[in-house]
Amino acid sequence: MIIEVKNLKKTYEGRVPTHALKDINFGIKKGEFVALMGRSGSGKSTLLHQIGLLDTPTSGEIIMKDTNLVLLSESKKAEFRLKELGYVFQSYALLPELTALESVYLPLMLLNIDKKEYIRKATEMLEKVGLGERIDHLPKEMSGGEQQRVAIARALVNNPSILFADEPTANLDTESSEVILNLFKKLNKENGQTIIMVTHEPDDKKWVDRVIWLKDGVIEK
Amino acid sequence: MNIKTSFFLAYTSIKRGSKGTLMMTILIMTLAYVNLVFISSIFGGIVEAINHESINNQYSNIVIEPKIDKRYIDNKEAIQLIDTITGVVGSSAHYIDKALISYDEYNDGNNIKSGKWVIKSIDVENEKKVTEIHDSIIEGSYLESTDRDQIMIGKEIAGGHGGGLEHLSLGGILVGDKIDVQFSNNIKRTYTVKGIFSVKNTQVDQMAFITKKEMESILKVHNLASEILVKIDNIGEEDIYINEIKNLGLQNEDIKRWDELMGFTSSASSSFTMISVILGVIGTIVAGVTIFIIIFVSVVNKRKQIGILKAIGMKENTIIFSFVIQALFYGIVGIILGASVILFILRPLFIANPLDFPVGWVSLKVTFNIIRISNISLLLASLVGGFFPAYRGARESILKSIWE
Repeated sequence: MIIEVKNLKKTYEGRVPTHALKDINFGIKKGEFVALMGRSGSGKSTLLHQIGLLDTPTSGEIIMKDTNLVLLSESKKAEFRLKELGYVFQSYALLPELTALESVYLPLMLLNIDKKEYIRKATEMLEKVGLGERIDHLPKEMSGGEQQRVAIARALVNNPSILFADEPTANLDTESSEVILNLFKKLNKENGQTIIMVTHEPDDKKWVDRVIWLKDGVIEK
Repeated sequence: MNIKTSFFLAYTSIKRGSKGTLMMTILIMTLAYVNLVFISSIFGGIVEAINHESINNQYSNIVIEPKIDKRYIDNKEAIQLIDTITGVVGSSAHYIDKALISYDEYNDGNNIKSGKWVIKSIDVENEKKVTEIHDSIIEGSYLESTDRDQIMIGKEIAGGHGGGLEHLSLGGILVGDKIDVQFSNNIKRTYTVKGIFSVKNTQVDQMAFITKKEMESILKVHNLASEILVKIDNIGEEDIYINEIKNLGLQNEDIKRWDELMGFTSSASSSFTMISVILGVIGTIVAGVTIFIIIFVSVVNKRKQIGILKAIGMKENTIIFSFVIQALFYGIVGIILGASVILFILRPLFIANPLDFPVGWVSLKVTFNIIRISNISLLLASLVGGFFPAYRGARESILKSIWE
């Protein structure tokens, strides 16, 4: 298993506490392409945020590389996200002042890699996602699909162990969505990239190896 | 913290961000800096004008007065040695008396105007080394050493020259008019007005001058002095020269620096300095708040991007530092442009066209200290104004930043 989730709970405190995740247990194998699916409010995005270290669960364990990630300090979590995890969000959220190339090599800069090397790696990654001709373009000069592909290249450039994608095609038209999901499938098959993707589109099942269905904060099947 | 990445983000944000916002921010910082330096410099200029007038037309650098129980300084040998001290530019001994000066405009005994004013005697050549009154004659001419029945009066005595005390003046005396002077020992003389002078010092403009020989003939004294003004090369070294003067044998005389005698004008100088400091602090706070707002707006607009940067593993310090670098950049460019405006435009303009203040000709006194303090103030304002909004933005949770 590349990641194991044990007894994970997330409760949002308030006058009436909301139990968003109730005792979640599952494991994901290296090289798997898994979809988290369920109706709105089922807890699929909440689960992705916990296992992607973007939020802190109320209790439970997230085991990766023999470490319970829940116990890491904020600084160590940031380091772990940088080195081991990659993210693609529904809104591409690229910095408006950075070109495609700069957006992609930003994570490599954080690892203090030599300039020539990070430019080479970022260029290669952009070519891999089909944007070799667009490396000097700013986000405002690209379509939504192209921006999402830049975000994917940024997520993958550090060779993450797991790529998390939170409804990556929600803002895209059918054609662009197809391109993105094809790209995920290609990365998964050719590079063995582990991918955990949240989606609400039932049709997306065809792209993934396994679906984890959530309902009311528990795994349904 | 990854400093290289912070610089990279700041650089791209400045280079590719809105040019209009960049220009406006730099303009505001430049004006904030000009405001800081200008206010301090103009008040510095006023204080300098007051000091300049006091030194060059009233007290010189050092004033020697007689022992408490004596009317005159009577150590003639010591007086003559003052000018031999290295660094002493000159000294001028005065006799001082208070006299009743009267003017009968139509010589008919009616409508006589009179008043009591200070009358001083001068050694004409020595006086030129010590004061600038000889350069301030607005009508007629300066006294000559051989003059006996001639008098030189200030514009506040003469009247008719726009003085502030016109109602106390003799009502518009012209050069060549005759005035009667009754000295404190009741000796009465008639003098012809040889010159009228105007300096930027009301006290001096209320004085009259006659020659030393003339005054000695009235007071029946010889080679004594009621006061001696001493001019030195370097302002600020008065205490050193006071010691040297005392060592000449004038231990018991009352010797003071010019600034000890300024009284009202001294407290005015302190008030100007205080006002300048208060306005400087307010200016710095305004600059800091401006930077705060600019960075705050930038942070709010980039909230989602900050969340993404944190999500991909960028540490908070790296994000905060990138905004602080931007704030410091605005501050530094503001300082460079502001200093250029002050040093290459405003300062030369004021030197060529000084302002006519009642206390003197006022120019901008831009000192290294004012520049240094203004630089530090604006940099600190940028640092603090940039840090707090960046800190708040970077500390927000990733999920809040991205989705709320």
